[in-house]
Amino acid sequence: MTGFSIFFSVVEGLVAGLGVTAFVTIASLALATAFGFFLALLRQFAGIKLIDPAIDACCEILCNVPALTHLFILYFGLASIGVKLTSITAAVLGLGLIGAAITCAIFRAGFAALPGGQAEAALAAGLTPLQTIFEILTPQAMRIALPGLGNYAVQLLKDTSVVSAIAAPEIMFFARSMVTSSFQTTMIYATAAALYLLLSLPLMQATRFLERRYGRLKG
Amino acid sequence: MSAFLAPYGDYGVEWLPLLLRAMMNTALLSVCAFVLAFVFGLLLSLCQKSSFAALRYFAALYVTIVRGVPLLAVLFLLYFGLPGIGIVFDAFGAAIAGLALCFAAQVAELFRAGLKAIPAGQSEAALAAGFTPAQSFVLIILPQVARVILAPMIITFVSLLKDSSLASLITVNELVLTGRSMATEYFLPLQIYIAVGLCYFAIAWPFSVLSRRLALPATR
Repeated sequence: MTGFSIFFSVVEGLVAGLGVTAFVTIASLALATAFGFFLALLRQFAGIKLIDPAIDACCEILCNVPALTHLFILYFGLASIGVKLTSITAAVLGLGLIGAAITCAIFRAGFAALPGGQAEAALAAGLTPLQTIFEILTPQAMRIALPGLGNYAVQLLKDTSVVSAIAAPEIMFFARSMVTSSFQTTMIYATAAALYLLLSLPLMQATRFLERRYGRLKG
Repeated sequence: MSAFLAPYGDYGVEWLPLLLRAMMNTALLSVCAFVLAFVFGLLLSLCQKSSFAALRYFAALYVTIVRGVPLLAVLFLLYFGLPGIGIVFDAFGAAIAGLALCFAAQVAELFRAGLKAIPAGQSEAALAAGFTPAQSFVLIILPQVARVILAPMIITFVSLLKDSSLASLITVNELVLTGRSMATEYFLPLQIYIAVGLCYFAIAWPFSVLSRRLALPATR
């Protein structure tokens, strides 16, 4: 085989993992954003005595332990007590929950950045507390949170490579299995890296656009 | 619940020394990689500020590429890929190099944000007061930058510490790999991986708390 045809067969092999990489990224992002937003609302506005420290504790645990360890607990650990998750379910659940802790912090920072007068004015104008939160505060907080969410999405896309360790058939998984059957190690991993770069560049560009448009999120 | 906790009582004495040794390896790996990332990141941010266009382009390109490529791909490339073109790393060296190369970009971005946060009046005033440009940078600007980036720098260290777990996939005998071999030996993956998670938490959490304490009000 000529160099080019080897290269194309490598690309073809890696692209087979594209679907799973995209699915894990999008599903984790959706889970993380939805659950993180819910947690941020609870933590910021509900003011329930027992819930606040519980949310904080969960976020600390999720943020101070590596994703790989969480994935091993979910995939290998739970299987040993009879809860068998597929590798993709474990991947989405693990990355999604870690992401929820991250987006919760991003949304909370967004709400905290709003001047107190916003809520006071909305309440004084006769809106109910729920209307105030969803119609006045959330849209503004969302604008502040967008660049942070974009950065998180870029990070998440790269982090999905870790789920190859629990045998989810994404890009890195195919790279590793191709390496064992051919000896083009350097080229296969370099091509995989380039493929990730190709995927994350548009996301980075979009994030930069959001940052310019809505201002950089501090912290 | 007691069935779940029982193995800790049965095997805790055997597990603890294994985990402690692995924690030392993880800590050593993270600290070495962070020191290297710090130095390389500082050089990168000097490149970003350089008056040579070539250096500025190099720094910008480097940061963009590293931000878009997963650490795992870099580690595999260094450890499995480079021997193919004649450059051989041992696993620990490859892990340090990979982590340092990736986190240098984050360190450089922090320095850049820190330098931007210092008002121009500071160096103007220093120059007007008779400091040389070098003195003004080292004595006036750097200490203020250091204060601004201290908290985010600690968070970056925590991220690096967590990402050092990927070194297990290139056979570095740190916490996760130790956990894996323990799991195959004892057939108790749930208990063992939770113990591994607690080990990471024990190292990372104090730094997270410290970083929040040190965060400046404007950036909190």
